[in-house]
Amino acid sequence: METPILRIENVSKRYGKKDVLKGASLDVNKGDLKILIGPSGAGKSTLLQCINFLVRPDEGRIWLEGQEVHYAHKRDLYAYRQKVGMIFQDFNLFDHLSALENVKIGMIKVRGMAKADAQERAVMELERVGLKEHMQKYPAQLSGGQKQRVSIARALAMDPRVMLLDEPTSALDPELIGEVHSVIRDLGAGGMTMIMATHQIGFASSLASEIVFMEDGQILEKGTPDKIFNQAECARTREFCSKITELYGETR
Amino acid sequence: MEEWLYIQTEVYPALAKGFWVSLQLIIPSATLGLFIGIMVGVLRVYGSRPVMAAANTYVVLFRGIPLVVQLFIWYFGLPYIKIYLSPFVAAVLGFALCSGAYHSEYIRGALLSIKRGQMLAAQSLGFNKVQMIFSIILPQAIRRALPGCGNEIIYLIKYSSLAYMITCIELTGQGKILASNSFKYTEIFLIIGACYLAMTSVASLVLGLVEDRLRLPGFEHQRI
Repeated sequence: METPILRIENVSKRYGKKDVLKGASLDVNKGDLKILIGPSGAGKSTLLQCINFLVRPDEGRIWLEGQEVHYAHKRDLYAYRQKVGMIFQDFNLFDHLSALENVKIGMIKVRGMAKADAQERAVMELERVGLKEHMQKYPAQLSGGQKQRVSIARALAMDPRVMLLDEPTSALDPELIGEVHSVIRDLGAGGMTMIMATHQIGFASSLASEIVFMEDGQILEKGTPDKIFNQAECARTREFCSKITELYGETR
Repeated sequence: MEEWLYIQTEVYPALAKGFWVSLQLIIPSATLGLFIGIMVGVLRVYGSRPVMAAANTYVVLFRGIPLVVQLFIWYFGLPYIKIYLSPFVAAVLGFALCSGAYHSEYIRGALLSIKRGQMLAAQSLGFNKVQMIFSIILPQAIRRALPGCGNEIIYLIKYSSLAYMITCIELTGQGKILASNSFKYTEIFLIIGACYLAMTSVASLVLGLVEDRLRLPGFEHQRI
């Protein structure tokens, strides 16, 4: 059996008395696309944020490429985060920088790349997400779909081993979802390892290597899209899937 | 005619000299004050607990004690512990420290207004705290703090007139000497008032230009 590129073991998080994450474990192999589904408050976001320690887990261990992440050690943490790209629901582009500068700044400040090299790479990444002609625009001048594509380019420029996508299309209106989905689809086809939380069931089932159903801070069930959507073992999974299918269209 | 001669031979040279001293006081004090304000503002928001407490104490003291008293302490008080400052240095030091305390409050407010998502995005790219503050948060915060900081600079121009209290004879000091010699208080202080008005007007013009220069899409003034 191959070593997983990312291994998450027993990650827990408590806010006060509320357990938002109760010991989630997940093995992600190279090229996998894991889709997290589940109702709001299930802990999908918290799990993603725990994976790159934007939220400090109370318990649990994480390995990337066989190396355990010592997140209390700042230098290790910063190095690890460079290798794990994160896409947010509300984009979080740097508001004072143009699209191009948004993509460049991580390469220059964090990776210490020369400005000319960073420029070249940033233009390439923006071209890949179809935004070369908009690269001088500021976030306030871009549509939601364009902003999300810039944020994907920004993450890709850091050469991530794994990408975490936290409901990347939930803040977009229906007409703009397609352009972001097509970028994500291309990434998957290019072999990028991804973990994505989403409610877009149709998209998820067409692409996912595994669907992970979460509720109440736990992973209740995981399996291929076909298994989860058509013959889930857990009654709660079936109930959730039928509701969400009703809402977001037929699973393909 | 005699009046005119008086203005030409006495008032003008004295006030011109004072005006020049005022500018020499204001420009370094404003620059240093803004720098202190930014640093202290950052420490008050992102510093460790003891650093934060120290920075807060600085603000309480320097914003809470009248500026004249502060100037007296620098100029007349420090010699007790064998530190001798020239009137000019004592004035610049006093102005910059007082101004910095006020600036830090504008900067602090602006830092707190930056959305958390900006920090999460920077962290997720592997930025360390210092990189995040100086290349992501501060450039945005300074744009938001600019109107407040400009206000403080305008204030500084006017309270620079306190320097003559510690024998640094600037514009107001020269005026006071002229007036007490000639008893033409009203005329002389009207001229001095006009000089300060000219300085503050130029300053607000320059501040407006700086604001325009730093304006970016998404940071413009919202018009309703």
